[in-house]
Amino acid sequence: MIRYISTRLLATVPVVFGVTLAVFSMLYLIPGDPVKMMLSEFATSPEQIATMRAQLHLNEPFAEQYGRFVWSAARGDLGRSIRDRRPVTAEIVELLPATAALAVAALAFSAALGITLGIVAAVRQNSWWDLGSMMVALVGVSMPSFWLGLILIFIFSLRLGWLPAAGGGGALHLLMPAFALGLGASAIIARLTRSSMLDVLRMEYINTARAKGLAGRSVVLRHGLLNALIPIITIFGLQFGSLLAGTVIIETVFGRPGIGRLLVAAILNKDFPLVQGVVLFVAVFYVLINLVVDVVYAVVDPRIRYG
Amino acid sequence: MVRRGLASWWVIAVAVAVAAAAGSGLSAAPTQGGTLVIGLDQEPPTLDPHASPSAVTYQIISDVTESLLYEGADGKIVPWLATGYKLSPDGKSFTFTLRQDATFSDGAPLNAEAVKWNFDRITSPGYKAGIALTALTGYAGSTVIDDHTVRINFKAPYAPFLTYLAGGWLAMLSPKTTPAEGDAVNQKPVGSGPFVVSEYAPKDHITLARNPQYTRRAPWSDHQGPPYLDRIVWRIIPEAGTRVTTVQSGETQMISFQSVPAAVLPRLIADKSLRVEKTPYPGVPRTWLLNVRLAPTNDLKVRQALEYGLNRAAFVESVYKGLGTVACAPLTLYTLNDPALCKTYAFNPQKAAQLLDEAGWKMGSNNIRQKDGKPLALVINSINYGAGNLPEIELLQGQLLTLGVDARIKSQARPPWYEDNYHCATNGPVLFLRDPDVNGLYALFASVNIGGNFNWACYANPEIDRLLAEGRVQFDPAKRRALYLRIEQILLEQAIAVPLVDELSVWVMRGTVKRTAYNYSAYPVLSDVYIAK
Repeated sequence: MIRYISTRLLATVPVVFGVTLAVFSMLYLIPGDPVKMMLSEFATSPEQIATMRAQLHLNEPFAEQYGRFVWSAARGDLGRSIRDRRPVTAEIVELLPATAALAVAALAFSAALGITLGIVAAVRQNSWWDLGSMMVALVGVSMPSFWLGLILIFIFSLRLGWLPAAGGGGALHLLMPAFALGLGASAIIARLTRSSMLDVLRMEYINTARAKGLAGRSVVLRHGLLNALIPIITIFGLQFGSLLAGTVIIETVFGRPGIGRLLVAAILNKDFPLVQGVVLFVAVFYVLINLVVDVVYAVVDPRIRYG
Repeated sequence: MVRRGLASWWVIAVAVAVAAAAGSGLSAAPTQGGTLVIGLDQEPPTLDPHASPSAVTYQIISDVTESLLYEGADGKIVPWLATGYKLSPDGKSFTFTLRQDATFSDGAPLNAEAVKWNFDRITSPGYKAGIALTALTGYAGSTVIDDHTVRINFKAPYAPFLTYLAGGWLAMLSPKTTPAEGDAVNQKPVGSGPFVVSEYAPKDHITLARNPQYTRRAPWSDHQGPPYLDRIVWRIIPEAGTRVTTVQSGETQMISFQSVPAAVLPRLIADKSLRVEKTPYPGVPRTWLLNVRLAPTNDLKVRQALEYGLNRAAFVESVYKGLGTVACAPLTLYTLNDPALCKTYAFNPQKAAQLLDEAGWKMGSNNIRQKDGKPLALVINSINYGAGNLPEIELLQGQLLTLGVDARIKSQARPPWYEDNYHCATNGPVLFLRDPDVNGLYALFASVNIGGNFNWACYANPEIDRLLAEGRVQFDPAKRRALYLRIEQILLEQAIAVPLVDELSVWVMRGTVKRTAYNYSAYPVLSDVYIAK
């Protein structure tokens, strides 16, 4: 097990380096002078531009700049935002809890809805339950999240007045955003749960369990679901990535603070250090999440770690 | 019998009228306390008034910080922290006498030392100043004469100083608790106003709390002492649809209409629980600057044809949906008004066609004018915000087509847009400039600003340069007005720019929010606001 985890950990190292190289090269791949672009909102003199170039070490060779970037990033220094001059790391850390709350709530919702729909569809295969669940899933994956968000605001904030439309407060402020964000992911989880459950329910040990006289629910849930969950866990890792991407839209629509909003504002403001910092952070975070998923996968399914 | 009946009807009518007047709140006392939640479209880059390039900062802190002078929506400059001023005979120094009773909210006295410290801060070499620095062009230090008298010195006479001083950018911060940089001043600047910044939640909201120590009367106010509201919460809600919903549902009590499509407005006007307030912006209206160095806009007749041929009223009606008025001059009519200005280029498509014919551009078979086998084509430089062409640019293109001009829209991100403007590479951008002083014309039309900010008509006229320089040192209001009207007249005769729309700052609020006010720069000043029951 230890060997499995350590090999996995080692495998992430080149991935993380690749990510840092891609993120760092962004500055050079964009056409135009990066410094002029960063300062374009402000009236600047050639001296100020020269000072900024020196500050960002843009006159050094690429390899040296890259090395400096990686070394600073490893120590937690991702530079300073051009617009409000605060350390990028501080801004990310400040807004991380809000996005984390949203992503976790959305993931929990999508898991609950998706797995339930999937089980129902599998257990009552080819019945109206099956068709209905998969229709709900189809509708969920087809709706653009920003449109769904605006419809929810229209109904629940404007017409009914039950829920607040904007802001980053507590549980009430999280309900609509989590729903809007999680619905698409729940559809994918539902379909996968269904097919996975169908496979599992055909297995011999299910028949054995039934033959032993166990109640239907116990058979399905304890013997069936736990085994069916294995591929679903893998999907969770991938879905988390698309959830993080979805927070960009949902945070803007619902006026919630978070990393997504931070990234959008940074892009619109041509705030390169901030864009680089957030992209790097999100990418590394995603890699680590998938590492965790791999480990959980191995814990849940012994065949993986020994096979 | 009839007479007595009439008399009793009269009494009832009067009684009803009196009751209605009393109930309508006309003479109602303001409600003490409460929180006003305002929806803003974007987060300011900083709340430090000396460092910000963004108007959003001043929208928020106009009640937190104070300046030496104040200019209200009526255009009159009145004393604020300064009780009076004297101009030196050479026009290079302003001596201000300050109030004796003003203090910052941290207890530091607002005296001459503090004023000097503030201006020195903005102009100090290591400090990354914002718009405030341009307002102090030519600053040559301040002299503390005594505790409440300070002299501000300039290298040359500087007439715009008083307007900029009253415009809100040169706000006073406390020297005691304002560090050089960092979160404290960017998020919680310490001023002397009726409100203090009590909370800053990044990307979410900014809370202002009532300053109970405020004992003076703000210049826009009708009462002395602290504000009625306990708190103002500025919520950052960039998504226009969500922001509008919050004011309709009551989640916020006021919103900025910035970046909301104008088509939404009729619905809000029809909503009886809401009120829409519009304030004109001072400065340069939404204008198409014409590059005088690039064909075909290098031809005076072509430029004048554009002035006659473009239907400005159509812009106001269709794109702005009434949230603006027809612009007639390089400065908005709110900044400088004269009946002659709008008479210069009344909409006349026949005259436009005639001028183009005279310039040699005859209508071709495909409805595009031709000269020497070449079509009349030009390029409009437009910013692309990521959502396709801007509606006003498309309308411009459409109107030009009816004149027989093939206008191409070069829609690009801000940085290359700036580059093209610096290099005079297109036939001109469409822009606006917010500036409380007529001196705003200097940035746009002084030849020294070609290749920089913002002479993007690439226009060099020694007479205009001379008049602009004269305007900067002319303190007599009547002479100044005459000078700038002369400048505008020349710019219009030469058709350097096509002014399109004088824009309005629009705020939508619930009917229960009373006594909102705006200063000359269209920033809201809210210390008189109360929320009626």
